[in-house]
Amino acid sequence: MRKDSGRSGTRIRRILVANRGEIAIRVMRACREMGRESVAIYSDADRDAPHVMAADRALRVGPPAASASYLNVDAILDAARQSGADAIHPGYGFLSENAGFTRAVEAAGLTWIGPPAATQEALGNKLAARRAVADAGVSVVPGLLVALDAAAPPDLSEVGFPLMLKAAAGGGGRGMRRVDDPADLPNSMAAAAREAQAAFGDGTLYVERMIAPARHIEVQLLGDRHGGLAVLGERDCSVQRRHQKLVEETPSPAVTPELRAALGESARRVAGTVEFHSAATVEFLLDADGGHYFLEMNTRLQVEHGVTELVTGIDIVAWQIRVAEGLPLDPSVLEPRFAGHAIEARVYAEDPYDGFRPVAGTITAWHAPDGPGVRVDHAVAEGKPLTAAYDPLLAKLMVHAHDRPAAVARLRRAIDETMVGGLQTDLGFHRWLVDHPGFGRGDYHTGLIADDWPDGAPPAAEDLALAATAAVDARQLAAVTNNGRVAAGPATDASDWARLARREALRGSDHD
Amino acid sequence: MTDYEVRFGGTEVQPAAGWALEWVDRGRGIGRLTNGQFSRPVIVEGAGSEWFITLAGRRIPVSVQTWRERVLAEARGAAADSGAPVDIRATLPGLVVAINVADGDEVEEGASLLTIEAMKMQNEVRAPRAGRITAVDVSVGQPVATGVLLLRIE
Repeated sequence: MRKDSGRSGTRIRRILVANRGEIAIRVMRACREMGRESVAIYSDADRDAPHVMAADRALRVGPPAASASYLNVDAILDAARQSGADAIHPGYGFLSENAGFTRAVEAAGLTWIGPPAATQEALGNKLAARRAVADAGVSVVPGLLVALDAAAPPDLSEVGFPLMLKAAAGGGGRGMRRVDDPADLPNSMAAAAREAQAAFGDGTLYVERMIAPARHIEVQLLGDRHGGLAVLGERDCSVQRRHQKLVEETPSPAVTPELRAALGESARRVAGTVEFHSAATVEFLLDADGGHYFLEMNTRLQVEHGVTELVTGIDIVAWQIRVAEGLPLDPSVLEPRFAGHAIEARVYAEDPYDGFRPVAGTITAWHAPDGPGVRVDHAVAEGKPLTAAYDPLLAKLMVHAHDRPAAVARLRRAIDETMVGGLQTDLGFHRWLVDHPGFGRGDYHTGLIADDWPDGAPPAAEDLALAATAAVDARQLAAVTNNGRVAAGPATDASDWARLARREALRGSDHD
Repeated sequence: MTDYEVRFGGTEVQPAAGWALEWVDRGRGIGRLTNGQFSRPVIVEGAGSEWFITLAGRRIPVSVQTWRERVLAEARGAAADSGAPVDIRATLPGLVVAINVADGDEVEEGASLLTIEAMKMQNEVRAPRAGRITAVDVSVGQPVATGVLLLRIE
């Protein structure tokens, strides 16, 4: 073990990953590749979850509720002590942007793999960050620079409607509400404040003018402790529902080389308002005239970091670990080379034919795509019920190709290869999106789903007829072989009865 | 000839002529539909008269009923469709975080009744028709499972 200090760093030996699901596995993969041990934590609902299987060690931290397990600071620090971990990686969500946790980790003598607590504090309050960034000469989305008073909603006519209510402690689209009519303001404020209180423990709201049409563009930053700061290009995250991203791509089809330089400069200025190292993302809205406005800076690894890794070849998680050890970024990161185009489609357990409503259930069948240029990050396990307490993200389908049309074609192919049984997912939406003319041209904005997605439309007549065939055949086949039930219980070999029944089913439809 | 009738929502659907289901992995419900030439992957779940068929990423609920099952279902439907009270049930598991109505309130169609938090989202439950609230069966802070009675409108 190396014990040097300074630029050669102090080697981390064992990393506790304070998260679950696909992102925990992602971090553990980096640990394995770098020869570091990994420690998983799990709630009672996750005893046999995929992320537990991916780690070298695993410790229980509490009951299923996130507040008692993955948000339970004392239990997590206990697990770190018990396992002999010397560092903690938080993933995204949960405690990843909680400065109190970061300080507790460092107070316990552990290395924090992420931006410093002071940075999280300065940027975690989105409202304070807005003020600091405006002072640094970067345009912010027009609106108020003070908190809204829940008891006495102010006159917001000077901001103008429609407007956006946002949580000062916010992120991930929660505590966010679009308000079109001043009359809706009290109800929307109450709902947004409640959601913010539940998600972040702080119901403070602020207000921004609605910019529409707009594109949502974010810049990936990676910094070291020696003043090195790398700008790893942008990601276009404009395909959203409920202000949450469904698809991300890099480079953005809307960003010219000049705009890319300007976005990078703005992102550097935003990072310059704080003491920054590790990975973070600066988010901007891009209006129809090409103007860009600071939204927020997220001081953590992003869900969609993988597309940037595909086009740069840079392992962002590995660099977070090296930076935490005190190593400087090297020229391959400081002067990244970008190759080709990458797109990510997020597969969620939700019903896009019913307002993207989250659905509960158990996955009975799962087949991930693979082949050239495909990366799938997931933690799907057949037969395990999804827990409503956790994020409904099932998988991230990522594709990489030499240019955008090839990447779109590759994504279409990857979606067609993916199979999820047991519950509705948004795969059908993604399949629709890759054939959307605007998306195909790269000409789309954050209103795409609201404007164009035919929510609630029935399936195509051809698919309905095929579904009817499948259901009738399955019922007839099941009647003779499997006690009437399909996709439940252990498989039995196809018997002569099944073959006979299938032949009869074929013959039956021949008469139609 | 099959004596099954297939419905999607309320509409009868004719099976695709010449196509048949072949199992690839019956235990997991994975199969392919084929007409002897073309092939479409499909996931089949269900039992009895209720089936879910996933095609091209869309999970399509269809009922497959014999004549006898159809007659019984229609009789049940007729009883429920006579201006009778409407039970509002949870469509997803979650936590009741707000209740905006009380016993005896008159509500308009579309009025916000209560909010259920699930998967970290606030899901508003709205009135499917106008009427009077005659029972509120849940309280704020209560976890509810899918299908649990929340309240009733008469």
